[in-house]
Amino acid sequence: MKPMLSTDLNVADTTVEKAKIEVKNLNFYYGQSKALKDINLSLPERSVTAFIGPSGCGKSTLLRVLNRIYELYPKQTAEGQVLLDGKNILDRSQDLNLLRTKIGMVFQKPTPFPMSIYENIAFGVRLYEKISKAEMDSRVESALKRAALWNEVKDKLNASGQSLSGGQQQRLCIARTVAVKPEVILLDEPASALDPLSTAKIEELIDELQADYTIVIVTHNMQQAARVSRQTAFMYLGELVEFDRTEKIFTSPREKRTQDYITGRFG
Amino acid sequence: MAEHTVASFDEDLRQISRLINDMGDLAGSMVGGSTRALLESDNALAQRVVSDDAIMDARQRELDDRAITLIAKRQPMADDLRHVVGSIRMAGDLERIGDLAKNIAKRVGSVGVSTAPRDLTHSIDSMAQLVLIQVQAVIQEYTVGDATALAKLRNDDERIDVKYTSVFRELLTYMMEDPRNITACTHLLFCAKNLERIGDHVTNIAENAYYVLTGTQLPANRPKQDETAMSAPAA
Repeated sequence: MKPMLSTDLNVADTTVEKAKIEVKNLNFYYGQSKALKDINLSLPERSVTAFIGPSGCGKSTLLRVLNRIYELYPKQTAEGQVLLDGKNILDRSQDLNLLRTKIGMVFQKPTPFPMSIYENIAFGVRLYEKISKAEMDSRVESALKRAALWNEVKDKLNASGQSLSGGQQQRLCIARTVAVKPEVILLDEPASALDPLSTAKIEELIDELQADYTIVIVTHNMQQAARVSRQTAFMYLGELVEFDRTEKIFTSPREKRTQDYITGRFG
Repeated sequence: MAEHTVASFDEDLRQISRLINDMGDLAGSMVGGSTRALLESDNALAQRVVSDDAIMDARQRELDDRAITLIAKRQPMADDLRHVVGSIRMAGDLERIGDLAKNIAKRVGSVGVSTAPRDLTHSIDSMAQLVLIQVQAVIQEYTVGDATALAKLRNDDERIDVKYTSVFRELLTYMMEDPRNITACTHLLFCAKNLERIGDHVTNIAENAYYVLTGTQLPANRPKQDETAMSAPAA
């Protein structure tokens, strides 16, 4: 078997595609504690990348660096570069509001605002754009259609977003993210609180969305990573252990640690 | 390999390995038994090979059931996945080897009652030895995890093919020499063809075993030649 060299980490056939996000020599600290160690990887445009690894491996931390959401908390610092279309988003001059319109995020627990379904989507759009009522109506409709929720809610757009089922709420959050026309969507365990059917709908949605967006998903469910992503990064103890095409990772990974983790033989 | 977090998963995988081993042993004994029965006109032994085929079939069905259930229950990944899928394929080849050995055994009676001289079977004997060694070696190398030996074993099939070509020519000569040999020689030709097919199944098993062990496929183009077509006499 070919030995794994550190410089080989990014040899996934993704190198020929245009990179949407490039992470270079990234280190991350919670106070004194180093949570990410010299991460280098390149996320291709319009494709789904999954981060997998045991709890505490740094996968969610890495996701949170990609839109700088970690800055909401004290004593969290990132070093290195995260290039979005070649521009370093960790740069102090980066406008955070602008960054987060470009890089949307959906969390593990559905987080609809305590307002109507319509307003849940219109609220975010209004923060960035001044558009007419008619334009807003069509924006809401297209976002809900994009999130495969329109048919279920079109007759009750004024009902509270919180009255929806868990799976519908999560799709509402995806619709809300899509409505501000992001370029990248970060999904942090988007289906872990959902039943299998709602999970399948989210996965179907991810499959459709990758035609237009660069998607990064963190998941504990390895079958889900195998199903939805085109490339997979396995992380352990803050390190990127292996990054390759998803089918390669799940059928014949190069690294023993990856092998042990995905076959359930860890530790 | 490290223990799986769920101990019963490892036990399920071991059961599948055990079945492959059992089927490998049985295939070796059926191939050895059928050719010995053929060479020694031993009808009782031939009968035993025929009945062993039912055991082989049952083992394959059991392996299929276990493998499908394991995939449904555990969703194996990486080398576990290769192991399970590879076992299903290898079991298919072992089952076919059993069928071919049974077919040889069923011909024992027909060859035995004919007036064929004993030396007709000599070249078949040495071909059968080659095949038997391959059948026994393939599961053994898989069990010990020797991918290099499996790659070599797959290439060694060419020696069986070459042998088959020479047996074919030889039997053809006997038939031309004395038409009374035709019945026996025709049966022997089928037996030789069966042995050659068994060699092909061993090749498949070696390829699958190699993939299970390494995660990579052997190159597709193994040198392969069947010259019997060229050597068939003009009518």
